[in-house]
Amino acid sequence: MQERASEERHSEIETRFALDPLDYAVISQALIAIAREMGTKLIRSSYSNIVREAQDASAALFDAEGNVVAQAELIPMHLGSMSEIFQACVAQCPITDLRPGDFYINNDPYGGGQHLQDVFIFTPIFAGNRIVAFAGTVAHHLDLGGGNPGMTPDAVDVHAEGLIIPPSRYTYDRDWNGGPLERLIAANVRVPSQTIGDFYAQFAANAIGTARTTELCVRYGIPSVLAAMSELMHYSERCFRAALRAIPDGTYHGEDAVDDDGLDDQPLVVKAAVTIEHDQVSVDYAGTCGQVKRNLNCPWASTVSATLAAIKSALTSPDIPFNEGFKRPISIGAPKGTLVNPHYPAPVRARLLPAYRCFNAVLKALAQVVPDQVIAGGNDSTHALAISHLGPQGYRVYLEIYGGGFGAGPRRDGCDAVDSPLSNCTNTPVEATDMDFEHFRVIGYGLLPDTGGPGKQRGGLGLFRRFLILKDGTNFATYTDRVRLAPYGLFGGDQGSRTRIEIERDGRVIKLKSKDRVDLRAGDVLTLYSSGGGGYGPPADRDPRLIDQDIAQGYVSASAGAQLYGRKSSAVP
Amino acid sequence: MRVGIEVGGTFTDLVAIGPQGIHVTKVPSVPSAPDEGAFNALVASGIPIASIEDLAHGSTVATNAVLERKGFPTAFVTTKGFRDILALQRHGRSRIYDLEYQKPAPVVARSASFEVCERILADGAIETPLDVADVLARLVPALAHGSFEAVAICLLNSFVNPAHEKSLRDLLIRSLPNLHVTISSDITREFREFERASTTTLSAYIQPVIDRYISRFRRRLDAEGFRGRFSVMQSNGGRLPAEAMRANAISALLSGPAAGVVGAMRQAGRSGFKNLVTLDIGGTSTDVCVVTDGTPQLTQEFQLDGLPIRIPLLDINTIGAGGGSIVWVDEGGMLRVGPRSAGADPGPACYVRGGIEPTLTDAHVVRGTVRPEAFLGGRMRIDAEAAARALEPIAKHFGLTLEAAADSAIALANANIVRAIQLISTERGRDPRDYVLVPYGGAGPLHAAKVAEELGISTIVVPPAAGIISAYGLIASDFVLFESMTHRVVADDSAAQVLRDVFAVMRSRALERAAASGLRSDLVFTLTAEMRFVGQAFEVPVPFSEAELESLDASEVRQRFGDAHQRVYFFGGEAAKPIEFVSFRLGVVAPLESLPLLADADEAGSQPRPISLFDSKAWRDAHLLHRAAMSGQAFTAGPALIEDSTSTLYVPAGWMAQLDANHSTILERR
Repeated sequence: MQERASEERHSEIETRFALDPLDYAVISQALIAIAREMGTKLIRSSYSNIVREAQDASAALFDAEGNVVAQAELIPMHLGSMSEIFQACVAQCPITDLRPGDFYINNDPYGGGQHLQDVFIFTPIFAGNRIVAFAGTVAHHLDLGGGNPGMTPDAVDVHAEGLIIPPSRYTYDRDWNGGPLERLIAANVRVPSQTIGDFYAQFAANAIGTARTTELCVRYGIPSVLAAMSELMHYSERCFRAALRAIPDGTYHGEDAVDDDGLDDQPLVVKAAVTIEHDQVSVDYAGTCGQVKRNLNCPWASTVSATLAAIKSALTSPDIPFNEGFKRPISIGAPKGTLVNPHYPAPVRARLLPAYRCFNAVLKALAQVVPDQVIAGGNDSTHALAISHLGPQGYRVYLEIYGGGFGAGPRRDGCDAVDSPLSNCTNTPVEATDMDFEHFRVIGYGLLPDTGGPGKQRGGLGLFRRFLILKDGTNFATYTDRVRLAPYGLFGGDQGSRTRIEIERDGRVIKLKSKDRVDLRAGDVLTLYSSGGGGYGPPADRDPRLIDQDIAQGYVSASAGAQLYGRKSSAVP
Repeated sequence: MRVGIEVGGTFTDLVAIGPQGIHVTKVPSVPSAPDEGAFNALVASGIPIASIEDLAHGSTVATNAVLERKGFPTAFVTTKGFRDILALQRHGRSRIYDLEYQKPAPVVARSASFEVCERILADGAIETPLDVADVLARLVPALAHGSFEAVAICLLNSFVNPAHEKSLRDLLIRSLPNLHVTISSDITREFREFERASTTTLSAYIQPVIDRYISRFRRRLDAEGFRGRFSVMQSNGGRLPAEAMRANAISALLSGPAAGVVGAMRQAGRSGFKNLVTLDIGGTSTDVCVVTDGTPQLTQEFQLDGLPIRIPLLDINTIGAGGGSIVWVDEGGMLRVGPRSAGADPGPACYVRGGIEPTLTDAHVVRGTVRPEAFLGGRMRIDAEAAARALEPIAKHFGLTLEAAADSAIALANANIVRAIQLISTERGRDPRDYVLVPYGGAGPLHAAKVAEELGISTIVVPPAAGIISAYGLIASDFVLFESMTHRVVADDSAAQVLRDVFAVMRSRALERAAASGLRSDLVFTLTAEMRFVGQAFEVPVPFSEAELESLDASEVRQRFGDAHQRVYFFGGEAAKPIEFVSFRLGVVAPLESLPLLADADEAGSQPRPISLFDSKAWRDAHLLHRAAMSGQAFTAGPALIEDSTSTLYVPAGWMAQLDANHSTILERR
């Protein structure tokens, strides 16, 4: 059984007017500017550290049928499948039933959504008594209930992971703004002041998108704005099809694996067959392992997002805007019941890890046909750390996610210590955690030398983040990956380093599993060491000056430099 | 005699205002030695250096040192455990689909980054005292070995308690007296360690550059018998005595565009306009800024080449749209203008210096809004045929006539400029319709009217000598300093008292610095509180004047915040949620004794004559006149071109131009 996000999904109404090239250029840039402003204001007016400092949120502008026209380039994982998540709402309440003040909301992994923490809200934009567009935002909410603050690693099903908001239509004045939906959500989350504040930031960003789009319609007329939306999607589609035609037809295979499901040692293998045929591309995940009992299942929308991000990054120039038009030449399939298209009610909280393996499998397949457009395996994981504490003032939940080294590429070394390709979260300043949390303190944060896989181009370095726990009864939950299976090198490049999480307690070092939950005590020191990226091309081909520079800057130790690159460096140790 | 010398990328402009009237000089810049260009301008102007009472200078020397990474060897010192903060940055990427993304390169290398044992907590408490023995045993020798010129120190939570930074600075100065030491708490007192470290490092990095530059400039002035006041422009829109810049090097970054805003603001202010959108279009870029009630908008969030800077500077938005911006068709078939630029070399195709790609200037030549014989007062040879040849492929692609293609390119550039203005007006909660547009720079007046139409602006104020207004802005600027401080406290019933207490503390700190910087004593203070709902991500600025602080009450503070938040974020005006102060900024202004008055430079004007130009899809009959030929009360109805030696003003159909008593040309929409 296959589900296909196929071309007929995007049944286009042919609205191509003979739009003046100038009007088109002006309106399309304005549409992109609207999405960007929505994203900026969502983050700036939010409350939780995961949205305000980590910027784990996204925004987009949709046409009247719910196709993404323009997006704020924030989190690739959020962006690819927003229209799928939108359509799940339409299935519950047709667009024609919407009135001004209504909104769609959805976080249901089995109703088109990703994981529960990502709540999508869509607001219809009315002009001239009709819907002309939708403003949509998503934020990763700090805590939406569930068995454990921030995340529940041992959840056996999606119900244990938090509050499900199925795809539905509500009315802002009646249901939010102190109304029953707001109160229902507030009663089911652990830090309502921040979570509800973040919801308000989403609504406000949608209101800004609405105001700006309405202004645009007044200025240029509704038909011109609609035509520009349609043309903007055609534009991306045209560019992408042209790029696809330049690639030799054929089917290419790639695979990668998540370490394990946290219960046993079995790798969770993701297989992708990528077929390029003229100006179309299809990805089939047949052969991928079955769904698992813990939270590493990847709901369909997440699989779609990860696949699209891999294709977008490898096959188009970054200048081509991402929108629904870009998706038209792509079809994606996966057997139901696999890790990447699970049956209800499998838990999905850590879905980004299998999503990364989809990304890797597609890039590995493409490496065979466009070697100059892909990179080696990197940290490519989201290391999620939730450190929480229940005190007399209620719950304090700190949630942050960390990346590591990028895989090296055909032209450049991998980026050091940065969030991985499907995500784009920033770190929380230590001075902010110092101000906001009393149950832990960050005591170290830095690069990890010798973690980047050697190669003609070196893999990016991993990072460490070290916490001193200040209170007994501190709750720690995490999911990480690349703990057992290291990031792969490409074309003769070596692999990058593995991830690990350790607790130093009473002079002993306790190694955690990649998916774990533990109680911490005052005095414990918790450290995340993330993976370095894999190398690209044989280490022997590396420019000796770059090796010397790496050693001089301490990215590579002198001894490792001699050993890994097989040469004596001239640099002063 | 007051003299302003502004060094730009292509030209160095000089404006002199004295009893003999106004004198304007333009000479080519010397990019390798900006001061060379400045003295060339002085020589060309024929002004005796000994007769200059007030010399104000603006230069790109600091900005270029950063962009080209040509500062002096600089070290970075921070709290143990955090040596890599400059390399780690904020862990995000600015291009999300770029697989070979690299972070912006810091100005200090990892091998020049060091740690000291110490830790201060969020409330200022000392958790680990500074390990002095360790500093002397390890850090001092390492710095001594590294042949560093400068060191930047940024310790965690020093914005609350700078004690360790100060002790460390004193230790280093005692041990290594030749080292320039910059501590973060002297540069910015705001939280978020990476941004503060970045700002401090940039400041330390350019300090020796500024220091040497000013010393060299000063020596040469002294040798020529200069006895006046020598001051340097800052990015915050004020200047400082040159010697004081040595302790404020960071504020010299991006000072060029700030001078233009001040010049425009002063000149428009004389005609009574206080709400302005300034529009500076030059050869490679466009700079826009919003001035509300006579005060330019400030921002504390700025990036130079991807490196954050957290000091108050004018909220100037720069986009790649200028005369040299290239007109092109992208791979999806969309018309584009910029951001790539032919710059001054090879320059637009019509310069015939080897440029073959069409630029905005070529488009103006083709549609008749720039006359080859009048470009830059006739100083530059322009080939109209070359402009037409360059634009031909664009016209062919869209099936348009040459002039229609040129017109579309200009209209698209206007749209890009409109969006740049919306970003700092509409998006900051300011409605451009409440403002007048003040265009300057070589091409600002050419584009102003069409930009105004798009924004709904109905009045345009064109300053005299619009092409050199930045140089005028230098001598028209006040002397300005800023103090900042993070002090997070809930704004409850005592909010007004908090403001008064904070003001008192910051004022005394500012008075000390002002005295040390050689500012006169009749100072004006403005206090801006950065406020937010408790726990929210970012703050909105809420300004308070010194005079109103005494009578202010808590409900008024709350009201002001609510209004400001509502304007920007579309909510919060009515919310009953608790609010807090996060940080404060004190502006200290030593006003100019008197404003130098700008007027048209003395130029001979030719008689008006008819021309034809292409605009908005049709050829139109228009008047051509020289600015000097505009007489007192007469209106000039568009379409018309009004030229002077520094720029060309385009008055489209539907607009009327009239000279006002202060030598500005006022355009009104009919």
